[in-house]
Amino acid sequence: MRPEVALPILIPLLSGAISLMFWRSHFMQRLVAVAGSGALLLTSLWLMASVNADGILVMHMGDWEAPFGITLVADLLGAIMVVLTGIIGFAVALYSLASVGRGHEAFGYFPLMHLLLAGVAGAFLTGDIFNLYVWFEVMLVASFALLILGSEKPQMEGAIKYVTLNLLSSVIFLTAVGLLYGLVGTLNMADIAQRLSQVEDNGMIDVLAVMFMVAFGIKAAAFPLFFWLPASYHTPPVAVSALFAGLLTKVGVYALFRVFTLIFNQSPDYTHEIMVWGAGLTMLSGVLGAAAQFEFRRILSFHIVSQIGYMILGLALFTPLAIIGGVFYIMHHIIVKTNLFLVSGIVKRLRGTYELKRLGGLYKSHPWLAILFLIPALSLAGMPPLSGFFAKFIVIRAGIEAEAYGVTFIALLVGLLTLYSMTKIWAEVFWKAPPEPRDDDKEIPAISHRELWQLYVPVVGLALCTLFIGLNGQPIYALAEASAEQLLDPARYIEAVLGQGGEVTP
Amino acid sequence: MTLLWIPLLTLLGVLVPVFTERYGRGVLSLATATLPAVALALTLLQIPTLLEGDIPRVSLAWLPELGLDLAFRLDGLSLLFALLILGIGLLIILYAAFYLSAEEASGRFFAYLMLFMTAMVGIVMADNLLLLWLFWELTSLSSFLLIGFWSHSSEARKGARMAMTVTGAGGLALLAGLLLLGDMVGSFDLGVVLESGDAIRADSRYPLMLVLVLLGAFTKSAQFPFQFWLPHAMSAPTPVSAYLHSATMVKAGIFLMARLHPAIGDTALWGWIVTLTGMATFLYGAWFALIKTDLKAILAFSTVSHLGLITVLLGVGSPMAILAALFHIINHATFKGSLFMSAGIIDHETGTRELSKLGGLRKAMPVTAVLVSLAAAAMAGVPLLNGFLSKEMFFTELLDTPLLGGLGWLLPTLATLGGILSVAYSLRLVHAVFFKPAKESPPKSPHEPPHLMRLPVELLVTVCVLVGIIPAVLATGLLDLATRAVLGEALEFHLAIWHGFNVPLLMSVLALAIGILVYAMHSHIRRLARQFAPVDARRSFEQGTQTLVAATQAITLRLENGSLQRYMSLLLGASLLLATLGLLDLPTLAGDKPSQPLDGVLILGAALLIFGAVGTAVTHRYRLISLLMLSVVGLLVSLTFARFSAPDLALTQLSVEVVTMILLMLALFFLPQKTPRESTAKRNIRDLLLAGSLGMVVASLNYAVLTRDMSSIAHFFMENSIPGGGGHNVVNVILVDFRGFDTLGEITVLALAGLAIFKLLNRLRLFMPHSDGEGRLWSPDRYPMILTSVSQALLPLALLVSAFIFLRGHNQPGGGFIAGLIAAVALILVYMARGVEWAQSRLDFQYQPVAIAGVAVATLTGLGSWAFGRPFLTSAFGHFHLPILGDFELATAMLFDLGVFLAVVGATLMILANLGKLTTPHRPSKEPATTTPGKEKKS
Repeated sequence: MRPEVALPILIPLLSGAISLMFWRSHFMQRLVAVAGSGALLLTSLWLMASVNADGILVMHMGDWEAPFGITLVADLLGAIMVVLTGIIGFAVALYSLASVGRGHEAFGYFPLMHLLLAGVAGAFLTGDIFNLYVWFEVMLVASFALLILGSEKPQMEGAIKYVTLNLLSSVIFLTAVGLLYGLVGTLNMADIAQRLSQVEDNGMIDVLAVMFMVAFGIKAAAFPLFFWLPASYHTPPVAVSALFAGLLTKVGVYALFRVFTLIFNQSPDYTHEIMVWGAGLTMLSGVLGAAAQFEFRRILSFHIVSQIGYMILGLALFTPLAIIGGVFYIMHHIIVKTNLFLVSGIVKRLRGTYELKRLGGLYKSHPWLAILFLIPALSLAGMPPLSGFFAKFIVIRAGIEAEAYGVTFIALLVGLLTLYSMTKIWAEVFWKAPPEPRDDDKEIPAISHRELWQLYVPVVGLALCTLFIGLNGQPIYALAEASAEQLLDPARYIEAVLGQGGEVTP
Repeated sequence: MTLLWIPLLTLLGVLVPVFTERYGRGVLSLATATLPAVALALTLLQIPTLLEGDIPRVSLAWLPELGLDLAFRLDGLSLLFALLILGIGLLIILYAAFYLSAEEASGRFFAYLMLFMTAMVGIVMADNLLLLWLFWELTSLSSFLLIGFWSHSSEARKGARMAMTVTGAGGLALLAGLLLLGDMVGSFDLGVVLESGDAIRADSRYPLMLVLVLLGAFTKSAQFPFQFWLPHAMSAPTPVSAYLHSATMVKAGIFLMARLHPAIGDTALWGWIVTLTGMATFLYGAWFALIKTDLKAILAFSTVSHLGLITVLLGVGSPMAILAALFHIINHATFKGSLFMSAGIIDHETGTRELSKLGGLRKAMPVTAVLVSLAAAAMAGVPLLNGFLSKEMFFTELLDTPLLGGLGWLLPTLATLGGILSVAYSLRLVHAVFFKPAKESPPKSPHEPPHLMRLPVELLVTVCVLVGIIPAVLATGLLDLATRAVLGEALEFHLAIWHGFNVPLLMSVLALAIGILVYAMHSHIRRLARQFAPVDARRSFEQGTQTLVAATQAITLRLENGSLQRYMSLLLGASLLLATLGLLDLPTLAGDKPSQPLDGVLILGAALLIFGAVGTAVTHRYRLISLLMLSVVGLLVSLTFARFSAPDLALTQLSVEVVTMILLMLALFFLPQKTPRESTAKRNIRDLLLAGSLGMVVASLNYAVLTRDMSSIAHFFMENSIPGGGGHNVVNVILVDFRGFDTLGEITVLALAGLAIFKLLNRLRLFMPHSDGEGRLWSPDRYPMILTSVSQALLPLALLVSAFIFLRGHNQPGGGFIAGLIAAVALILVYMARGVEWAQSRLDFQYQPVAIAGVAVATLTGLGSWAFGRPFLTSAFGHFHLPILGDFELATAMLFDLGVFLAVVGATLMILANLGKLTTPHRPSKEPATTTPGKEKKS
């Protein structure tokens, strides 16, 4: 038995429960937040080590053999995603200690955070398509609750859009799962993959593939399905934004990677071609949307959309190098994007606003913060030798090798516009002299040394991760390569889940 | 390994200023200069090896799978550039120590400068194309930081961003080009690439690759039409202008062309593009240098012009032309570097760079006057100075080139024209600043700068003169090595001042003579130029970006107007489109399976279902009626379950219906009973079409799936339910055992939903409507007697039923979920019949812990199986015998089911109690006089 396969789900689930039991204790909530997310990080690393050593790990829930029970599967991609969840969860938990007010804590910020992490980890580890739906629901409801934590009007407005559009995705997902079950009579993804390869009716499979594409596309915020994201991500407390920005859309991307390598790999000319164009338009619409924004978090939100495009492009090109690029991109992006949101939160804490027009002068007053912004910002724009450069580089190289010049051109152009956008933030927030104070400026409470320290530690940690990936890209690349190899050879996954030979007589 | 130390030392140098800033300017600049000085010495030490014909190389693996190695080489070309970069860099550090004012953050400045130096050294020494590109981008970044060093000035910020955007764009084009190049050759190793010239030129992707690479080079080296960023980069401090924007960074593009010439040069396409672009740049820059009035702008445009000159030579590409190009790179770096630094001195001492405010400085600054005159003369190509030599070679090569064929005379003519303009602007520079009497006095009274500040200028001008007089002694060695690196073989050449009377000499003389004439008529020319509206590159660039921003804003607004309806329709439209495309590909919709026979009940049920669904939408403005319609749908769905023999599902659906209806009714209480008409007819039609077609698509899909054969895993559950799960009720065994993990997730969702609603309602301040839609007051009889007594009697009964359903769940229809709902309904009834206060005072506990305890119990049950070494959630069961009661069965699944029960009861009542709390008298309620029906909304 390998407990590390299930622990990344159970630890946050139990942390959430414990945290709720101590509803009134400020101290316990914080203690459990740090301890729980720390434990999650450690087990995720344990899982990574095990998967690296022993290959794909499975756990049959309730001891029911696949495909009859629910199976947890940890392949390299799953393990990578869980490690990232651990890193982001821990960083955001630390950051939250200083950034989430007591008001939010009183309404269960920390328990919700744990349960959200449980949902995310569940989605990454499950090998069952309906169970994936369940974890999506956990994530959706937890994130909705986190969004409305402040009860402010813009938050409510954003949350309504968020939840409505995401419920639509759930409906489409559920319909697709139902239809798929109707076609193959099973829910285990490995089993589905195997049975689909025997179905001759390719037309039917394509329709279902497209429905899954739409459902996950909404989750991943791909064009033209991304509207819920910029409508809501800039409204909640910044720790929540950071958590969402890092993890939520990536669950959608992960689901696309999983489903379109394992299950729907029959007619890539059709399905993956649609994705190529979807990816191109996602990159463009995100970055153009960002150009029109002048609020720190809104700019960052739109860039999530454009970056999602690169990841999907990696999947859509469907060559080994492209998949490596996609996986690498996910790893890089989760860390960098979370960090940018965290930095924006420090800026807000220091200056009381996210509006670029009303910010300025931080280069002079907080040079270290400026550097801490510059590292993830330049990485996001793909500046060498930071992590984003390698991510973008691999995807673009894959594009050129696949002779997909149109979409490669878009990818390059979007890189440039991202750089432009980041220099916009840099010039406005850091370089520009601070604007004259206005009458309606709110008094900003002085920030204590300890508080600042708590905010800086996770940001520095994530920046170091970015630098590490950049300067020491080889092991990360090797990891992405190995996971791409697994993804492109679904037989290994099927064999791990269904046992030797993979044949299950119905 | 020594090679590795050269870039490494400069990189370490980035840290030095950060730590030495606190010890004052002197220590700071000396300390900063130390590491590059050592690097320079190391570079010089390599010369003997080079002279022997070896090329020192070093290579460390970085990301070998991607072809990226930390590989450096030092051939002649690298050597020439490295000496320029490190040598002039040292002079700039000295100069900047005096140039920056005391209060400026000089530590930061020097750190950026060192970063830039590292990047440049990296470019010229890289032995791997990807590594080269990496450093290439690093120069863009460091130049961005340096141009924007005076970040308080908006000019500087905008100039920096423009430079970054233009060179960044070029950088990305270059990346694409290099990737193509690497793809053609199969390696990014510079050595391999340089040897594969023939294969590259024969490749069908050659033109695309060439254009991309040249785009990178041209943007970096400010070639026409990308020259516009360079003059605006002059808002940087002058040491930066002198170093980056004249001596080194702008030569990176030229370096790249020289570096890759053996691999990608020597074709007609190369010749045409490079030569013509260079020529256009040469003339364009020279013309604007003549009419600008800002000292640094003049120098900036003359830099553009000289870069063009070098580019032309590289385009021509003959061995002698390459030699001339390399020679001019050295010469230009010396005279332009000294001129820039002098301009900085003048600016520093007088407080202005505007020609109209300067004049007659010869008296106040005699030494500087001599230095500037000499450097400017070199720039103009006056004999006995280095500029003359390379310009002569330039003229010679243009006379000889076969490019342009019959129009071959055009190039030398244009070159002479450019020469004339150069002479004129050089003359103007010197004359207007030092000799012409001043029209108005400058802001500060000028005097000579500190000697150490002038020292770099003196050194560079000395080089200009010495090279000009004894070129064979001073320049031959270096040029020999450099040309060997570019051409691959040694070139026989002899640098001399005098080549006899020939055409190039005539061209030089003509240029000098006419140039002086042109300057004499300078005022006419400026009047002529003034008739053309000046194009401010930065403004056009800004306008361009503004237009882009406005356009994106318009698009974004069109797509994203904040309307949820819009988003929904776009989303549904996209799904519809994709699904329809898929359906169109399907050869036939129906599969092989025959349909089931229809009967009257089915048809009636279907008709009612459709009626209910349509009715819900049609009556949506009358919320209560709409809700009732919805309940019809729910009821029919449960009947459908019953009809197709799924009593468990039917029961569950029914209880869910009841609970949601009650909760929705409670919520509706706070909302107006009727909503105003919100959609236009047009929108209604759109929505109707969208909903209708989606419905049809989904129905078609369902039909297609249902009529196809499938073999499912369902039989396994049937067979294993009793032996494996210990229950006769397969549905329940699936819920709590086979797929218990799903259920764990779902009860988490339920508990979360309870929490979310708790949060939503907690700070909500609602006004209780005192009357219904027609203005009738609510009945004063708040808690009807009959209901009160019935509910009280029902409560224990219902709880008993709930317990019964729970216990029998494993074997017959029932289970924790349904039991939980029944218990919740019973409690809800009490709340409704007696009011929240009454109920709350008797059921005084928090429901959150109940819900979460449910999740915890379920999780812990699952974990319990780990204690026995079985996977999570493995169930166990056994039959026990108790006296009186008889045989009965206990299963761990029951414990799990208890968790489900608790979660359901907890979450439902949490929602109810919180909704109910809103109606207690403690809440504000509106005065009857001020209420108008339909207007009571959230405050």
